[in-house]
Amino acid sequence: MDTATKQSFVKIVQQHKGIIYKICNSYCRNRDDREDLAQEIVFQLWKSFEGYNPEYKHSTWLYRIALNVAISFYRKQKNARRLVSDEHLFELKEYEDENAEHSENVGRLQQFINELPELDRALMILYLEEKSHREIADILGISESNVGTKVGRIKQKLKQRFSAIGP
Amino acid sequence: MEAQELKNIWQAYDQKLEKSLALNLQCIEAIQTQKAKRKLNPLLFLKAFAVLAGIVWVWFLGSVAFAAAVAGYHDSFTVSKLFFIVSTGMIAAITIAAIVAYIRHMSLIWEINSTDNVVEMQEKTTLLQLSTLKAARVLSLQLPFYVTWFFRPEWISGGNLLFWLVYMPVLALFIFLSVWLYTNISVKNIGKKWFKMLFDSAEWTSPAKALQFLQEIEDFRKENP
Repeated sequence: MDTATKQSFVKIVQQHKGIIYKICNSYCRNRDDREDLAQEIVFQLWKSFEGYNPEYKHSTWLYRIALNVAISFYRKQKNARRLVSDEHLFELKEYEDENAEHSENVGRLQQFINELPELDRALMILYLEEKSHREIADILGISESNVGTKVGRIKQKLKQRFSAIGP
Repeated sequence: MEAQELKNIWQAYDQKLEKSLALNLQCIEAIQTQKAKRKLNPLLFLKAFAVLAGIVWVWFLGSVAFAAAVAGYHDSFTVSKLFFIVSTGMIAAITIAAIVAYIRHMSLIWEINSTDNVVEMQEKTTLLQLSTLKAARVLSLQLPFYVTWFFRPEWISGGNLLFWLVYMPVLALFIFLSVWLYTNISVKNIGKKWFKMLFDSAEWTSPAKALQFLQEIEDFRKENP
């Protein structure tokens, strides 16, 4: 593949690095597993980049692959192998969050999401990423009305979890 | 807490990552060079190897059975020759059935594409995990023929004690095992201890988990589960 294609791929990954990181965090608790999964997602994205169908939005294509790889990875973690053993795909710089409550809430929300079944987890990530019901339906392969029903139900669960902790 | 608040928390997470998350470009470059090295899905490679080994095995069995049949045609078809031809022929036929099943698995692996929607891809992957059980079930039928191929009638007429004390019990055991495995390798026994011991090893993704996930997929797809 030529340099321009390689660079445009890097640009897409750069644009969506946050979502890849969040998906890895939602499907793996262990740091090493997260690194393995992140590398596997980027590898699978790169593998299918050549056949990318421009009819789909970049985000739809990326979410489908990232979530599929994450769910499959989650289900067979014991067989995972790291692609590039000495490197780390993500580097998290030291960052002081001025709003400690925000930071705490992020941690709680992430924890609640991690406790959901794999498919509900995917649905909730897409909902929180503010994807339309139509796009969520397209990524997951269920009907739009089903997305609406399920999102309502999971949201209710999350709200209850937050309320149980208190303000 | 309202839905918008949940989204706000998630957005705050986004902003935090925007400021603190850096991508290691060297690592992406290294991953890009991996593509040529890892063209073949490891599972596909494993199935292809099994198909190839199966073909060689069938070819070998077919050749010896054919040679025995030709020899029998020219000389005479003794009982032991018949046992040999029928047993090797049955082993070959069952192996062919397993080869066909493995070829179907390979085509299923080809069809699995991570760009498919999540429910579709996960369903195909899980069905593939469960279909390996069917191949194991068919292969279990071979067991008794590995004991019958070298049978000699003179063991009965000669009053050979080893025949009654060793050969017959082993044959009975293999027939029982074969029938038992064929009837019991089934999703209905997934939760049983012996089943887990046989199929929950590192080489197999647990069929119990696969079946449970298949049910979850079905529920997820339903409008009002």
